Amino acid sequence: MDDKLLITPAPHISSVKTVRGIMLDVVISLLPATLAGIIIFGIRSLQLVLASVIAAVAAEAIYQKVAKKPVTVNDMSAVVTGLLLALTLPPDAPIWIPIIGSAFAIIVAKQIFGGLGTNFVNPALAGRAFIVAAWPLHMTQDWLNPMTHDAITGATPLAVFNNTGTTSLGVKDLLLGLRAGSLGETCIIALLAGGIYLIARDVIDWRIPVGYLGTLALGTWIFGSPNGFFQGDWLSGILLGGAVLGSIFMATDYVTSPVTPTGRFYMGVGAGIITLLIRVWGGYPEGVTYAILFMNLVTPLIDKYVVPKYYGYMHDIQARKAAAGGGTK
Amino acid sequence: MSIIAIIIGGVLVNNFIFMQYLGICPFIGVSQNLETAMGMSGAVVFVMTIASAVTAAFEQFVLARFGLEYLRTIAYILVIAAFVQLVEIFMKKTLPGLYKALGIYLPLITTNCAVLGVTMLNVRQGYGILMSTINGFAGALGWSLAIIIFAGIRERWQLMDIPPALEGFPLALISTGLMSLAFLGFVGLFKGLF
Amino acid sequence: MKESKSSLGFDFIKGFIQENPTFALAIGMCPTLAVTTSVVNGFWMGIAVLFVLTFANVFVSLLRNFIPDEIRIPIFVILIATPVVIVELVMKAYLPAIYEVLGIFVPLIVVNCIIIARAEAFAYRNPVMNSLMDGLGIGAAFTVNLMIVGGIREFLGTGQIVFGSAAFPSVPFFEPAAVMLTPPGGFITLGILMALFNVTIGAKGKTND
Repeated sequence: MDDKLLITPAPHISSVKTVRGIMLDVVISLLPATLAGIIIFGIRSLQLVLASVIAAVAAEAIYQKVAKKPVTVNDMSAVVTGLLLALTLPPDAPIWIPIIGSAFAIIVAKQIFGGLGTNFVNPALAGRAFIVAAWPLHMTQDWLNPMTHDAITGATPLAVFNNTGTTSLGVKDLLLGLRAGSLGETCIIALLAGGIYLIARDVIDWRIPVGYLGTLALGTWIFGSPNGFFQGDWLSGILLGGAVLGSIFMATDYVTSPVTPTGRFYMGVGAGIITLLIRVWGGYPEGVTYAILFMNLVTPLIDKYVVPKYYGYMHDIQARKAAAGGGTK
Repeated sequence: MSIIAIIIGGVLVNNFIFMQYLGICPFIGVSQNLETAMGMSGAVVFVMTIASAVTAAFEQFVLARFGLEYLRTIAYILVIAAFVQLVEIFMKKTLPGLYKALGIYLPLITTNCAVLGVTMLNVRQGYGILMSTINGFAGALGWSLAIIIFAGIRERWQLMDIPPALEGFPLALISTGLMSLAFLGFVGLFKGLF
Repeated sequence: MKESKSSLGFDFIKGFIQENPTFALAIGMCPTLAVTTSVVNGFWMGIAVLFVLTFANVFVSLLRNFIPDEIRIPIFVILIATPVVIVELVMKAYLPAIYEVLGIFVPLIVVNCIIIARAEAFAYRNPVMNSLMDGLGIGAAFTVNLMIVGGIREFLGTGQIVFGSAAFPSVPFFEPAAVMLTPPGGFITLGILMALFNVTIGAKGKTND
C-alpha cells in the first residue's frame, strides 16, 4: 500500500485495492477485446491503440510537469483512458485522431480539474465526443471490412438496424464480431469476458450494465420495429453498436457514476433510455457516447436525491412493524 | 410547429445555454450551489414565460398595428423592465414569502439576456402569442435544467485542487463546454416527428 | 458624489488589462461566445458595442448631475437603447449580411452587461472626457478580444481566416476541426484563453466565487 497521505473526496472506503491495481484490472479486462479488434481489423487497430495510449500518458505527464504537480502516470489511469478511447474509434481513422482525442481527454476533461477523481465526465468519452464533433467524416466513414481489412463504405450494421429494424447478421456474427464497427465494440464475447472478470474482481457494479442493457433491450423491443410496437429485435439492439462496450467499461467509471447501488441502477436505466431515444428518433446512428455523458452530468443530482438505506434499516423496519402489529393500547 | 416540438426543442435540442449562448452571465454567477440555482430557475421560468406573452401581445397590438417594428428593441426592453418592476412590487405586497425566497434574483433577471433573447427569437420564428408563451416557458425550462445540472457538479468542486489561473470563470467555461458536448447528442431529436 | 480624476490615457488603456471586460471582468460573455465564429463577425460586433458604449457613456456622463438616483437604471436603459436602435438600422442598411449573421445579438447589445456596468460604475461618476476615453478603451479592447477569439475559432474550425475576398492561408494545411465553430468549441476556447490571460497578463488577485 502507498503510505502517502491521500486527500480525496468522499466516499472514504479503505480496502486493499490501490488505484493502480484497479486500473490494471481494467486493462486486463480490455485485452480480449483489444486482441479481437486487432485480429478482426488488422494492424491499424494496434497502431491506433498504441498512439492513443502513448498520447494519453504523455499528455498527463506533460501537463503535470508544467503545472508543477507530482507526475502520476504510474497509476495507469491514463493508460485506461487511452485504451478506451482507441476502442471506440473506426479502425481506419488517421493516427492523429487518437492523439488529439487522448490529449483532450486527459488535459481538458480530467487534469485541469485536479486529476484523478475530480473529473465529472468520462474522459475517454469526452475525448470521443470532441473528435466526433471536430472530424465527423472520419468518425462516421473510416470503417474497415472485418478480416479482409480493406476500407468499406456505406452504412454500418447499426445504422441499417436503426432504419429498418432488422439486420442481416446472425447471432454468431454478432457475438464474434465479424462486422464493421469501432475497433473494440464488435467482439461481444471478448467484451463480456472482460466484464465478468471485472465483476468478479469487484471492480465494477453489475447494476450499471444490467440496467443499461436491460432498458435498451426493453426499449428496442417496444419501439425498435417499423412494423409496430412490441416487435423489435431486442437482441440485435443490444449487441450492435457500442452499448456493451460502453455499459461495461465506460458507464461504470467510479468517479463519474453514482455512489449508491440504487443510484447506479438508475444511471444504467437513464443511459439506456437516452441511447434508445437517439438511436430511434435522434440525429445520430449511435447514442451511447452522449447517453453516458449526460448521465455523468446528472450523477451529482442522483447522488443528492437517492438516499441510501442506512445500516440497520431492515432492523428498524421490522422493529416498527412489530411495534405496530403488537398494538399499543 | 406543435407544442411538444417546441418544448423538446427548448429544453434539449436548442438549449439556451448549451446551444444558443443565452443567459450565460447569471448561469455562471448563480450556480455555486443547488439552492440558489433553483431559486434563480424559478424566477427565470416565471419571468420568461410571462415576458414572452406580454411582448408578443405588444408586438401584435401595438408594433405591428402601427408599423413601429423598428422600435422593437427599445420597446421590448422597457416592457420587460417595467414588468419585472411591477412583479417585484406586487409580490412584495401580496406574496411576501415567495418574494423573500426569490430575493435578489428578480431584479437580476432584467439583464439576463435570455429573457430579451427569447422575446426576439419569438419574433424571428413568427410565433403568435400562445406559441411565444410556450417557447418562453420551454426555453426557461432548458435554462433551468442547465443551471441545476451545473450546480450539482459545482458543489463537488470544493474538494478539488484547481490551479489558481483556472479558478472561477475559466473552469466554469470549460465545464460548460464539456456539458454542451454532451448535449450535442440531442441535435436532431424528434425532428419532423411532431 | 466624489469624482475621480484619472488620466485620460489610463482610462483608455485600462480596458485592455486591468479592466479587460472579457478576460479580467468576465462580463458580456454571451456575444463573446456567440459571434466569434469568425474574425470579421467579431470585428463588426465589437465596433457596434464600441459605438453604443461610447455614446451611452458620453450621454450618461453629460447628464449625470440631472439624473435622479432612484430612476437612473431606466434612464440608462433608454440612453443605451437609443444607440442600439441606430446601430440596428445602420447595419441593416449597409451591412445586411453581417446583420443577418449576428442575428439577435445586435438588439441584445442593449442588455450587454458591459454597457450598463460602465454606465453605473464609471460614466455616472466621472467627467465627460474620461467617460469618453473609458468607452473607447473598453470598446476597443472588447473588439480586439472578439477578434482574437474569433480568429482562433475560425482558424481551427475552417483552416483559414477570411477577410472579404482574401483568405489566409489560401488553403488549409490541416484538417479543420468543425467543433470549434460549435458551442463546445466556443466555451472551451474562451475558458482556456481566460486561463492564459490570468497566467500571463492578469496575475492580480482573483476573486473566488
